[in-house]
Amino acid sequence: MKKFFLIFLLFIPACAPWIETGGSYESLPHNFYVNIPQGWMMLDTDRYLLISGDGPFLQYVLIQDRPIDRPFRNTKKKFNRLMLPQEAADVIIDEITSDQSVLNFEIIENAPTRINGHDGFRVVFTYKNRDGLKLKTIYHGFLADESFYNIRYTAVNRYYFEKDIKTFRKVLESFRLVEDEGNCPGIRISQTMRAN
Amino acid sequence: MRYILLILMLCFAAACSTPAKLPLATDNAGVDDEKRLWQRSEDEQKVLTQSGLIYRDDQLDDYLNQVARKLQPPEILEHIPFKIMVIKSPYLNAFAFPNGVIYIHTGILARMDNEAQLAALLGHEMTHCTHRHALKTLRHFKSKSDFLVGVQGSLIQFSGIGNLVNQLGALGSKAAVSGYRRDLETEADLVGLQLMAKAGYDPNEALRLFEHLKRELEEENIQEPFFFGCHPRLQERVENCKNFLKTRYQKEETGIKNTGVFLTKMHKVILDNAWLDLKAGRFHSAQRGAEKYLKIEPNDAGVYYLLGEVFRQRAKADDMHKAKAYYEKAISLDPFYPDPHKAIGLIYYKDGEKTLAKKSFGQCLSLSPHRADKAYIVGYLKKCNQ
Repeated sequence: MKKFFLIFLLFIPACAPWIETGGSYESLPHNFYVNIPQGWMMLDTDRYLLISGDGPFLQYVLIQDRPIDRPFRNTKKKFNRLMLPQEAADVIIDEITSDQSVLNFEIIENAPTRINGHDGFRVVFTYKNRDGLKLKTIYHGFLADESFYNIRYTAVNRYYFEKDIKTFRKVLESFRLVEDEGNCPGIRISQTMRAN
Repeated sequence: MRYILLILMLCFAAACSTPAKLPLATDNAGVDDEKRLWQRSEDEQKVLTQSGLIYRDDQLDDYLNQVARKLQPPEILEHIPFKIMVIKSPYLNAFAFPNGVIYIHTGILARMDNEAQLAALLGHEMTHCTHRHALKTLRHFKSKSDFLVGVQGSLIQFSGIGNLVNQLGALGSKAAVSGYRRDLETEADLVGLQLMAKAGYDPNEALRLFEHLKRELEEENIQEPFFFGCHPRLQERVENCKNFLKTRYQKEETGIKNTGVFLTKMHKVILDNAWLDLKAGRFHSAQRGAEKYLKIEPNDAGVYYLLGEVFRQRAKADDMHKAKAYYEKAISLDPFYPDPHKAIGLIYYKDGEKTLAKKSFGQCLSLSPHRADKAYIVGYLKKCNQ
């Protein structure tokens, strides 16, 4: 996973720089609203929104709308619109466990949940990177129309995971799909941040 | 081109009249860069050992190491303490570290037919160690950066293995995983063939393994490294092997195969690897693995459940009927097996057959009340009651 961030750091800044932010944010290309913790850094790319308080090597929240027909990197399985949340969770678990850069993968919890009114799943797991650093992830996901939405929180298991778990819950609770909100009542959208 | 290759092979064959000889020095790890290479190998092996990727089966390890020991004379085994280990990975690969630790992926083990084919693979990988191919590769590149560019360039085209390689260190051992230079791989092929023949194995099985795996790569359109190299070079190497067998072993067509012993030792790997293939979304490979296992263990409920999962997850036209038939067979063999009950429940549930779904989910939970996915099943049952 660490290598993803090396790629971010090397290539992404040229087109979408990290910016310090906070407050309600509408990610227009991704069709969702979310409330970003004050003082966190944000990177909104064409594939995901990434936010972090202490830097992505220590902790991050990643929110993504993924076309259901987009192939995965490690498994050849694909989503389909008729999948149950448990089946979608299984595809995600298979994608992660087929990635040999994820070591000592261990599922702590895999259960159904509701995300902004949508039936979805919540998978909690730990894994180690090559340096032996143990990371913990909470992965929420659901299928809606042609997209698979996922909101995940990953942090170094020791200290950082617990430190920001409440912050993540607030981010998760604030998550809304633009199409669900219609005219978006009750959500203030920062015009400066919409510039992206 | 074919003639040049043939001449090259004959040169190698001549040079390899004593195939097991250590070519650079008699004392291993005797030079500074080789010592570093061995040290680095040990560091990387520690990472692998603690990674959760190692397939743990003591009996299987014993068997693989016994076969390996048959291939080398005692004086070589004194210098290089060969150790064979298995990695949980459905990809068709194997690699050797310079210090004699050889890793074989479950994917390639599961596709072999007999012990002679295993000996062919081991002979090839052991030759990389005895002939110090990692050290030669390291010395071939003038600087570390040149070496890395060369190795990583060859990795870009591969999926699956690239991630594993990135887990390993930057020096010579990377080549061990991703493949060596063409001349070194050819040497490993030819010396490997000699080793297996000398140990009494049928060398024609090396060719059968080659062709068998090549056919699978083509049928499945698999883009991944292969222990004999990447796909474009396969045909060339099949030809090398054919020519070599023709010139050296024409009259020695028989030899040990040990098919029965091999399949008995390998049956669990075949099943476990079929599950790995399923996780990787390689439905056809998973089905083939399951069917191979069925020939060894025809009354195992678990393999029928696996076949059901292959079809349910693939979800093509008529797949659900096939899946249900396999689940029912699994239940008939083992009525106390909860997973096929749940899987049948899922099929009914998605078809809107709530009464039947409820019955299947109920049976699953009564057989396994504390299962990890209980929350999902309770949710399905609630919806069935609505």
